[in-house]
Amino acid sequence: MKKTLAILLALALLIGLAPAVVAEGDWITLRVETYDREITGLDVTNCWQLHYAQEHFGDPNHIKLEFVSFARWTEGDLLTNALAGGTAPDICLTYNGGLVQQAIDDEGIWQLDDLLNEYGENLKAFLGDELLGYGQSDHDGDGVKEQWYIPARRISRANVGNFIREDWLKALNMEKPTTVEEFTEYLRQAKEANLGGETTVPFSFGIYAPDPLYNVRRFTDAFVDFSQVTEEDWFAYARNPEMLPGAKEGFRWLNTLYHEGLIPDTFALTDNDKANDTALIMGYNGFFSQQPDQPWRTDKNYQIELEKNVEGGHWVTVNCFYNESLGKYLHDIYAPAGLSIIIPLTTDEKTAVAAVQYMDWMAIPENMFAMQNGLEGINFEGFTENGIPYGVKSADAVPDENKMHAGDICFISNGLCYGDDEKNAAALALPFAGYEDDVVASYVDALTDAWTQVSFTVSVQAETDYGATVKSKQGEFLAAVVSCDADQFDTVFDSGIQEILQSGAAQMIEEFRATYQEGNYRGVFPGNL
Amino acid sequence: MTAQANRKARLKSTKGWFMRDWRLYVMLILPVMYYLIFCYKPMLGLMIAFQKYNMFKGMWGSKFIGLENFRFVMSMPDFPVALKNTLLLNFMGLIAGFPVPIVLAIMLNELRSIGFKKVSQTLLYLPHFLSWIIIGGMVLQIFSPTSGIINATLLKWGWIDKSIPFLTDGIHWQITYTLVGVWQNMGWGTILYLSAITGINMELFEAARIDGANKLQQIWHVTLPGIRSTIVVLLILNVGQMMNISFDRPFIMGNPMVQKYCDVLSTFVYRAGITNSQFARATAIGLFQSVVGLILISCANFFTKRLGEEGIW
Repeated sequence: MKKTLAILLALALLIGLAPAVVAEGDWITLRVETYDREITGLDVTNCWQLHYAQEHFGDPNHIKLEFVSFARWTEGDLLTNALAGGTAPDICLTYNGGLVQQAIDDEGIWQLDDLLNEYGENLKAFLGDELLGYGQSDHDGDGVKEQWYIPARRISRANVGNFIREDWLKALNMEKPTTVEEFTEYLRQAKEANLGGETTVPFSFGIYAPDPLYNVRRFTDAFVDFSQVTEEDWFAYARNPEMLPGAKEGFRWLNTLYHEGLIPDTFALTDNDKANDTALIMGYNGFFSQQPDQPWRTDKNYQIELEKNVEGGHWVTVNCFYNESLGKYLHDIYAPAGLSIIIPLTTDEKTAVAAVQYMDWMAIPENMFAMQNGLEGINFEGFTENGIPYGVKSADAVPDENKMHAGDICFISNGLCYGDDEKNAAALALPFAGYEDDVVASYVDALTDAWTQVSFTVSVQAETDYGATVKSKQGEFLAAVVSCDADQFDTVFDSGIQEILQSGAAQMIEEFRATYQEGNYRGVFPGNL
Repeated sequence: MTAQANRKARLKSTKGWFMRDWRLYVMLILPVMYYLIFCYKPMLGLMIAFQKYNMFKGMWGSKFIGLENFRFVMSMPDFPVALKNTLLLNFMGLIAGFPVPIVLAIMLNELRSIGFKKVSQTLLYLPHFLSWIIIGGMVLQIFSPTSGIINATLLKWGWIDKSIPFLTDGIHWQITYTLVGVWQNMGWGTILYLSAITGINMELFEAARIDGANKLQQIWHVTLPGIRSTIVVLLILNVGQMMNISFDRPFIMGNPMVQKYCDVLSTFVYRAGITNSQFARATAIGLFQSVVGLILISCANFFTKRLGEEGIW
């Protein structure tokens, strides 16, 4: 009897132990998409953060982390191929909203509600309900929205940076322009005085081929007559700012600038970025419009490069696109949601759980700090009085084993996050030593009278079908209306609008309008500011 | 039996063929595999042209929708424009570009100095190895309005008072596009003709000289007839390519100012298909291009055979 009992007990013990024994060897691999910005000397698939996360998250949870490199500038195409081929990583990141929408429509990704509720407490707290809402939509039509993707939190939402040459203003004895008229006068005088030498072209202007009017509306929106625009129109014409009442005068203004030689006559030639960059740093231009931190960015530091070529050359922010009908300087800002994080269905449940656990671990402040900033004394010098790291070192100034990939690895946060808005704002200027005041001023301008860009929470079929064609037509339209003879302008403009409408914009506007009426939209109508 | 008869008997059986040439057959395996794997297997994927393609379900799981993709794509206003431009640019390229390598090959062949010939050939081949990205940059430097080398020079000399819109006016752009293409390809195109010329029996030239033919007459009556079949085969192949146009060249050289003149099927497919992940629609256009290409090449072959030439099949 005793013997039998002993055997039974032993068996029970063995059975009880068995899963534990198996689990010992039962590691899973979590493959994480990682943007590769091709920084010399840095291997994103073997950077310091990988080892840090492996040690603090992976090892205790029996998860082997693997970073999969995706070239940043073609990530959308690469991810599309990987998803279609079934080889996508377990955590996929993308800025391509259309791809995410398609993945939802095609039911190729995990629905995340249960996973988040069970394993994502910290992650949910970090993102907050409003932001999480961006990743929710009612796919099955039961009236309840499901969580399909995790939107990253965007720390700085500023998008518009308009810059003017302070040294040119001084030379012309002018104040910073505050209206379009004053700004035009500045451009004319700068050209007349040839402030940039023989090759002065005061306004650096080009066509951004993937979305030609995305940047141009910064100028033309100043001409829109908001007394004639309803909130519904604003959303219906979300992708067609050229059709808003009054915008025509904005394009006429650009046409005038073109004929006066104030913008480059090569503006429509693609592949002109290099030439435009050169003109900016050689000091040929007196104005350009890009991102709010553009003049000081390490990859294209227009300010430092300009100083090398032009003594006293100085880019400062300017606010001159004043909309009279609103009495405001309109600036578009990004939605609070940054890149989209999805988990493809090719990932098994266990790994999907690990994926959410990884993001949840990342959302804990000390982990996030390490993943974004590295170690004191190695990756940065020390802390400022409000607890922000200063003296951040470039990749080649740290030992190989500590080389880190600052921005993209901690993907749940688009931008460096230090806990509260004030700290985050102060941190924005910190990397640009010597120009802190300029940077802060630029961000202040960029957030003045800011309206959040429009997005829709359901897939708009007409945009999938015609979006790319309409954008291409808008590029053609912009080239034509800016360069046509002044007396031809009205004809060219009107026929251009007709062509855009016929190429699918009419369907898009109609469907956007309906989508707005159903309440499936996000963003801000400037008339409500 | 003699040894020769023995050999003949052996060759009559398949096994005999194989035994004799097995090394060649082994060597053939690789190219055959290449065609099977890279040319025939992907043809299965053409199925998605008739499907509402769901990239997660793949081509076996997607819904069949007949000709809907074709109907959608062909009803887009850009489609006829792209089709017309594709044919027009290819036709211009054929007219301007086809005779050039022939003339060039004959000229190279007549060169006396070997050293000079080699140097010229190398210089002529060189552009073929430049990618369109680089050529695109050069074109911009050379043909830009006002700041491009040509316009800047002519303006400075006062020969013109307004820039020539090489890249910004439709017709000008199409001519620039064609001539740049001719420049890039002419050297490379001479290779086949040069080898064909080398194949001509030297005695024919000798005989012509004895009969008192001068250089031009020799070229006209000996060289050209000697390479006629090569010319015909290349012409047929070129006609078959009329519907196909590379992507990089029009995409890089084109710009929004001349969109109506530079938009071709490949750039149209890229825009309407690839950028929106509409693979099925892109495939539909690709299939359409191939079918038309097959018809064209068959017609060209039929007519050349009618004219008494050897076709390509």
